[in-house]
Amino acid sequence: MALLDIQNVSKHFGGLKAVDQLDLTIEKGQIYGLIGPNGAGKSTLFNCVAGSYAPTSGKILYNGEDITGWKPWNICRNKIARTFQIVKPFQTKTVLFNAMVGSFIRTSNTSEAEDMAMEVLKKFHLADKCNVLAKNLTIAERKKLEVARAMATDPDMLLLDECMAGLRPNEVDETLDIIREIRDRGVTIFMIEHIMRAIMSVSDRITVIQFGRKIRDGAPQEVANDERVIKAYLGESYGAA
Amino acid sequence: MNPGSRKKTIDTLLKIMLAVFVFTLPLWLTSPTYLQILIFLFLFAYLTTAWNLVGGFAGVLPLGHSAYVGIGAYTSTVLFITWGISPWIGMWVGGLIAAIVGTIVGIPTLKLRGAYFALSTMAFGEGVRVLAENTMKVGPCVIDGPRGISIPLIPGNNFTAYQFVSKVPYYYIILIMLIIVLFITWYVSRIRPGYYLAAGGEEPEAAQALGVNVAKYKVWAMALSCFLTALAGTFLAQLTLYFYPKQILGLDFSFELAFIALIGGRGTITGPVIGALILRPVGEFARIYLSAVLPGLHLVIYGLVLIFVMLFQPRGLVEPLTRFYDWILNKVSGTATGKEVKS
Amino acid sequence: MSRAPSRGPAPRDTIKSEVTLEAIIQAIINGSMTGAYYGLAALGLTLIFGVIKVINFAHGSLLMVGMFAAYWIIHLTGWHPYAVLFLVIPMLFVFGYALQGIVIKPVLEAQREVREPTEVIIVTTGVWYVLDNLALMLFGAEFRTVKTSITGQVFFLGDYFLPKPQVYGVVITILTSGLLLWFLKYTRMGKSIRAASLDRDTASLMGINQYRVYNIAFGIGAAIAGIVGCVLIPFYYVFPSVGVVFDVKCFIIVVLGGLGSIPGALIGGVIVGLIESIFPMFMTSTWTELIVYAVFMAVLFIRPAGLFGEKRDW
Repeated sequence: MALLDIQNVSKHFGGLKAVDQLDLTIEKGQIYGLIGPNGAGKSTLFNCVAGSYAPTSGKILYNGEDITGWKPWNICRNKIARTFQIVKPFQTKTVLFNAMVGSFIRTSNTSEAEDMAMEVLKKFHLADKCNVLAKNLTIAERKKLEVARAMATDPDMLLLDECMAGLRPNEVDETLDIIREIRDRGVTIFMIEHIMRAIMSVSDRITVIQFGRKIRDGAPQEVANDERVIKAYLGESYGAA
Repeated sequence: MNPGSRKKTIDTLLKIMLAVFVFTLPLWLTSPTYLQILIFLFLFAYLTTAWNLVGGFAGVLPLGHSAYVGIGAYTSTVLFITWGISPWIGMWVGGLIAAIVGTIVGIPTLKLRGAYFALSTMAFGEGVRVLAENTMKVGPCVIDGPRGISIPLIPGNNFTAYQFVSKVPYYYIILIMLIIVLFITWYVSRIRPGYYLAAGGEEPEAAQALGVNVAKYKVWAMALSCFLTALAGTFLAQLTLYFYPKQILGLDFSFELAFIALIGGRGTITGPVIGALILRPVGEFARIYLSAVLPGLHLVIYGLVLIFVMLFQPRGLVEPLTRFYDWILNKVSGTATGKEVKS
Repeated sequence: MSRAPSRGPAPRDTIKSEVTLEAIIQAIINGSMTGAYYGLAALGLTLIFGVIKVINFAHGSLLMVGMFAAYWIIHLTGWHPYAVLFLVIPMLFVFGYALQGIVIKPVLEAQREVREPTEVIIVTTGVWYVLDNLALMLFGAEFRTVKTSITGQVFFLGDYFLPKPQVYGVVITILTSGLLLWFLKYTRMGKSIRAASLDRDTASLMGINQYRVYNIAFGIGAAIAGIVGCVLIPFYYVFPSVGVVFDVKCFIIVVLGGLGSIPGALIGGVIVGLIESIFPMFMTSTWTELIVYAVFMAVLFIRPAGLFGEKRDW
């Protein structure tokens, strides 16, 4: 059974069809990529899964359970965590605080939450910065914190929204290692990304969407060579094989 | 003893001295005027600390909290006058009612954006005041509209009736209440709801994605804050034995609470107390000595201090004051960065 | 919020008085005219609120400053309030511009990262307290009046009377709103203001000096407050707390009409004016206050964008 099953989901904003009858399934243990030109509806789809929006129509099943329209905090309690494209750390609070907000979903005891948070921070090499205020971190560190914080909730599935945007090549590689590590620990990953080499190299399967519709899905190489995908990204003139 | 632990010892010593000083103050400061000033100082420190649970921890700006002071005062007083119920019991009833009202009001309003929430609290506060000013009786209970309520004076010290001849018992009551509310604030900040509140106040979307039902916690904080605020309403009623809507339910009162917490440092535990410590004496003296000559000067001062604090120290004065205190401790204990010092 | 006594025909304050069709129509007329200058007062606020996204709690105080400025100028020169208007407008504009630049801008800048800059609200509250109480200190609390050539005069429309000052107030309101709309639509600065109100970051990327726009918007808002002050002088009392009466009311109107919407502010003003003049015929005027608050809260919950505002993520 698929872990996440997006069935014919649409999201309309007034007249704009941001997501249009999309079908997508993710198996447990996969790293699943979502790509498409800007404005294609990727983040909107994420928001539908994560509960920030309720889909206009369609169903979203997780582990066979219908989670369509659930509130974000209940989605998180259901072991689906997410990061944001524009990171949202709790700026006036410490790194440790940030992670603890995540780990508090597993326990209501403060010192337990602290221990769990520190464990996660160690895995992300942020432990030595645990008392630094989030606003004083570098952008790469903030992006790491964003993921670490989500991981502190001990999810079974992680939604990563362009977590590598703006990073240097070596930082991108570091992030890819982290992503693989997370998957090896049993977390299924659903990620949006623009950096082609990154998402191609790490994904098991990719879906390409444009104008809210799926135009292709398959293994990375199949997708990369697909004429429609190339046209979508580079325009008609490149489309001719 | 190394400088580090010397510093700790001095700090603890100072805190113990402060505690002793505060607790023994009425023994040698007998002037009722000064005692009254201190009582009001503690009262405002209490009220602003309770306010801080919503205004600081939940990250919103309530500007109508005097409504809950009023609910507390009116409830316990009406229960006492109409049915002879001791204000000590009426106090809890008032607190409960305030918590319920706060919850009902909070559920729709806490969803609103900061500015709109502030406006809605003002509207509610003013609405309660107008309601009180227009109500003469509720069933058998006399409210007496704009004239307010006078609590019949019971001669002598009467604990059950919550009335005492001298100011000293009131001093201790409010002092203990203040300590309790500070403890509650400290405790909340260390448990999960405190973390969730702070997170939700700062980045609600991120908090939600981490499993926090932000709205629920804000309402919870509101209920707690309103409850605690109402308890002080009863205290105030019993202290002055007379109150009326414009005073106890007024916008000025609500704003003063907010100002003090903001100037001291909202979201911190000691911020409101510090704010009260700084602003109240200034306000009192300006009002007592200058209001004949320059009416409203103390409010001008409040306003100016507020502007300056927001311009230069928006997180409140508690931060620089804490740094200053730290610096003094360092100097005195000889703790300095890496330097060994002769004592 | 309270209503200062206005000098003119006495409002019907007792319940169980004659509620005739005539009386209702008169009330509608009164309410609409009152609503017009309420709307004018709210106009400045909606501009500031809409453009800079600042809740300016000092708005009522600006109105008070305008009134006192007009009062003293009239006292010194004996000019007609509508002539004084042309002095008050630049004075208040400069005042508003300076206020925004000196006091509000630093706070806005520091709060740029923060999602909801409540510090700005707090600063404007401080300004309100300072202005109102300075006026109290300098001028005392007594109610002053100005006798002008049109004070107490009325037009007659059949059986109904329209106080002259109020009528002129409506005219000035319409003129000012028209001017403002023209300014926003057709002038460069006006368009910059509209751009900045929609998306401050994009606007600044397009070369619009964000803060200069804010200063000007604030100045205009203040100037409009000054206009209202002049409009009120022939028939209102002048006293330091006059701003408070209008402050809360203006916010309610702005929310009702829709943040940043000019027609919204005017229509919202008329609605409030009508409520205030019609309801007291059926209940005491203080219950009317409650109705206004209740309507306000209802709008906040049901449609926070107001009648004409855009839907945003509240």
